[in-house]
Amino acid sequence: MSSSLFLHFRPRRVPKDALRFTLTWGLGGMAALMIVQQLLTGLLLGFFYEPVPVRAYESVQHIQNSIFLGDLVRSMHHWTGHFLVVVIALHLLRIFFNGAFYPPRRRNWLVGLAMGVLILTANFSGYLLPWDQLSYWAVTIATSMLSYVPLIGSSLQEIMRGGPEVGAATLQLFYSIHTTFVPVSLFLLMGYHFWFVRKAGGILVPKRKQSGETEKSTSVPAIPELLVREMAFAALVTCCILLFSMFIDAPLGNMANPELTPPTVKAPWYFLGAQELLLHVPPIFAICFLPLSIGLFLTLLPFTRQKDGKPTTLIKTLFITGALFMLILTITGIWFRGQGMTLVMPW
Amino acid sequence: MVPGAGDDVGDAMVEPPSRRRFLTNIWAGLGVVALLQFLAGAAFFLTSGRKRTGKKSAPLLEAGLVGDFPTGSVTLIRKGNLYLTRLEDGGFLAISKKCTHLGCAVPWMAERKQFECPCHASIFDITGDVIKAPAPRALDLYPVTINRDMITIDTSNPLRRSGFTPEQVIYPEERG
Ligand code: FES
Repeated sequence: MSSSLFLHFRPRRVPKDALRFTLTWGLGGMAALMIVQQLLTGLLLGFFYEPVPVRAYESVQHIQNSIFLGDLVRSMHHWTGHFLVVVIALHLLRIFFNGAFYPPRRRNWLVGLAMGVLILTANFSGYLLPWDQLSYWAVTIATSMLSYVPLIGSSLQEIMRGGPEVGAATLQLFYSIHTTFVPVSLFLLMGYHFWFVRKAGGILVPKRKQSGETEKSTSVPAIPELLVREMAFAALVTCCILLFSMFIDAPLGNMANPELTPPTVKAPWYFLGAQELLLHVPPIFAICFLPLSIGLFLTLLPFTRQKDGKPTTLIKTLFITGALFMLILTITGIWFRGQGMTLVMPW
Repeated sequence: MVPGAGDDVGDAMVEPPSRRRFLTNIWAGLGVVALLQFLAGAAFFLTSGRKRTGKKSAPLLEAGLVGDFPTGSVTLIRKGNLYLTRLEDGGFLAISKKCTHLGCAVPWMAERKQFECPCHASIFDITGDVIKAPAPRALDLYPVTINRDMITIDTSNPLRRSGFTPEQVIYPEERG
């Protein structure tokens, strides 16, 4: 029965070339695995977490210090949440360079983008839940960035916070988004995403140089060839996450104090690019123009002209420059900014 | 006569009968209406729940008597999360603690006589005016009234301002 379940997601036979690890780097599968893990660890944490200020912090402390394996479960949830953002970014890069977003995969690219937004939402809403100084002030800074949006900025900010300041209403809002809205929508979209890969005829396998051979002759049965590879890889990834979480605890600072901002506080790391930019260019550009153009570019990407199933040189150059630019800004923001945003060396 | 009966007979064979198409369209239309109703209902549900929590319990804050605050001093008013500044000439300003850059709480550095934001190093002078960016404008003000030496601060809505102007300062009434 389990094998027939597997065959709902996977075809009976797969082309041999599709099994090559360097074709996908296992990124999509890794993301799916991590999402399932997040669901499981999140479920466990949810039994003890209380989404009200002060109690929230105390309940996280309780999980961390007095529940059996509590610190491990919390660390896994914390670190996997961050790894997941990196993994889906790499997955997006992989799809881009393989040109696997043109029709018939166009709609799946759009679904993937929506899932990416959901994963960022999950991470960001989870950021506030421990209710320590870092979560309080990081969310304050990140939601303050919204107030720079022209015209609707301050009302947007108030909607996000559920009030003028980050407080009990914000915590409740973020909690329900984090534990209901995101998981439900993510799972629906994930089912669709997988089904669509099959519907488009499996993952995109680049044509061989000498395209004489037919596909049929090089296909292998999905069980065991694909199944075993996927299982082994899942086991490996799980081991890495477990080891990492065993040795490095998820941080928990002092309890949130709205009166006192700690000396080095930053927005969540994936927003640091925007925040870094905010120091150099007018806010309208960093907060409004930049995210809108990134979103628009990625959405319109599958509608652009292709050359042999790959993006044109112009599109490629645009994409690579943009990605490098954001990467450099983000790295500067994460490691080269010390107290009071002065430039420091990370060593 | 059914609407659309003038169509080519060949087409009518392939396409579903127009009555079925009509019913399907009605179903789809009803679905859209139901969705819109749900969205509108949800929006009202969410916004009306918010108003109750948005109100502050006591917007009017009695900070103290004029004599309690020496000239050239900045006092933290814990309850309102703001500062009461008394300038050298005796005038008062109630200054928000929230940095206008990205909302961090700004501490008063008594030795250097300025507000220094820990987040991105904005600096403000004693009147809340910007000395050093990235803060785009001066710290917000709260309306102050002085009645028979008692200083009252209205904490319900902070006033945005671009910079400091002398009209913002509130002076105690001269004693007869
Ligand atoms: S929040 Fe004060 S300088 Fe950025």
